[in-house]
Amino acid sequence: MKRYLFLILISGVLLSAIIPPQEYGIGDAATDFSLPGVDGKKVSLSDYSEAKGFIVIFTCNTCPYAKAYEDRIIALDQKYKPQGYPVIAINPSDPAVQPGDNMDAMKARARDKGFTYPYLLDEGRNVYPQYGATRTPHVFVLKKEEGKNIVKYIGAVDNNYEDASQVSDRYVEEAVENLLAGREVARSRTVAIGCSIKPKK
Amino acid sequence: MRNLKRIALIFFFAYQAVAQEVKVVKYETLQDVIAAEKDKLIVVNFWATWCGPCLAELPHFMEVNRENKDNPGFKMILVSLDQVRQLDRVKQLITRRKLDTVHYLLDDNARMNDWIPKFDPAWSGGIPATFIYRNGVKVEFVESGLSKTELKNLISNHKN
Repeated sequence: MKRYLFLILISGVLLSAIIPPQEYGIGDAATDFSLPGVDGKKVSLSDYSEAKGFIVIFTCNTCPYAKAYEDRIIALDQKYKPQGYPVIAINPSDPAVQPGDNMDAMKARARDKGFTYPYLLDEGRNVYPQYGATRTPHVFVLKKEEGKNIVKYIGAVDNNYEDASQVSDRYVEEAVENLLAGREVARSRTVAIGCSIKPKK
Repeated sequence: MRNLKRIALIFFFAYQAVAQEVKVVKYETLQDVIAAEKDKLIVVNFWATWCGPCLAELPHFMEVNRENKDNPGFKMILVSLDQVRQLDRVKQLITRRKLDTVHYLLDDNARMNDWIPKFDPAWSGGIPATFIYRNGVKVEFVESGLSKTELKNLISNHKN
């Protein structure tokens, strides 16, 4: 019996090593991180003791979709940071694959566009797989509940990357407004075409 | 001689016209196109001119398409997700890279959240994405780049 127990334990350990970590679903607690930003400082969610939550956006310099959303991401930060939901942007690209996404290029982009939010590099590329980000831009709205950052929304910024003036559904704004009003998020998952995050093979 | 030149020119332009034809469609039309291929195995690949991994895998797709050119039960469809105002750029790239297959541009950006899950509930929206339909029914979905061998294996799983 002892022997079987040992085998079961071992196989459990092996399996957990083989199966990749599950991506986040709604209601999961999101991991904190400590990643370098364009201002030279490391940033963690725990730095924001006053925040009610976060708008975490996996985005990058080079993807046309991400670029199309830069102004709208700045607007989100300006609108919701004062209300307790700051934007935290994380670049999941591997500069070895995508040189336009290295830290120097990120600094230049942040300066040129006047990013009002931290723009971090997922250096070891360990954070985006935990969140389950698959493309840029990919948004995760988190809400602080009992010391944890609970995932409340996963998806796109809005329903028209091509033309901001034609947007009819502001998914992220709706989600944050729901949370600020003390409600659950009505539309908690959306999908959109984006640039696949490419791990180095 | 002049006639010969003229004929050559006509053929040249005819070829160009065929090679560059890209139909701009909405989701429903694309679905109808796929469903109409009742007796075929069709490979539907979503790509865009800005998508590096898409451009990297397309030569493999063209090789497989050429190998099947005498097979009436096989068809390949490329669906560009570029903006419709980039149509000329799409056509130029198709000609330059000799993407000699059937082309559509899915001009339906405001409804992505509707049609992406209809293609497959597991599709997060990343491209390249490749679907295989057999007799109008989806049998494969892959949301990543494919090598020639991987694509051939996917197809041979479902040969008619």
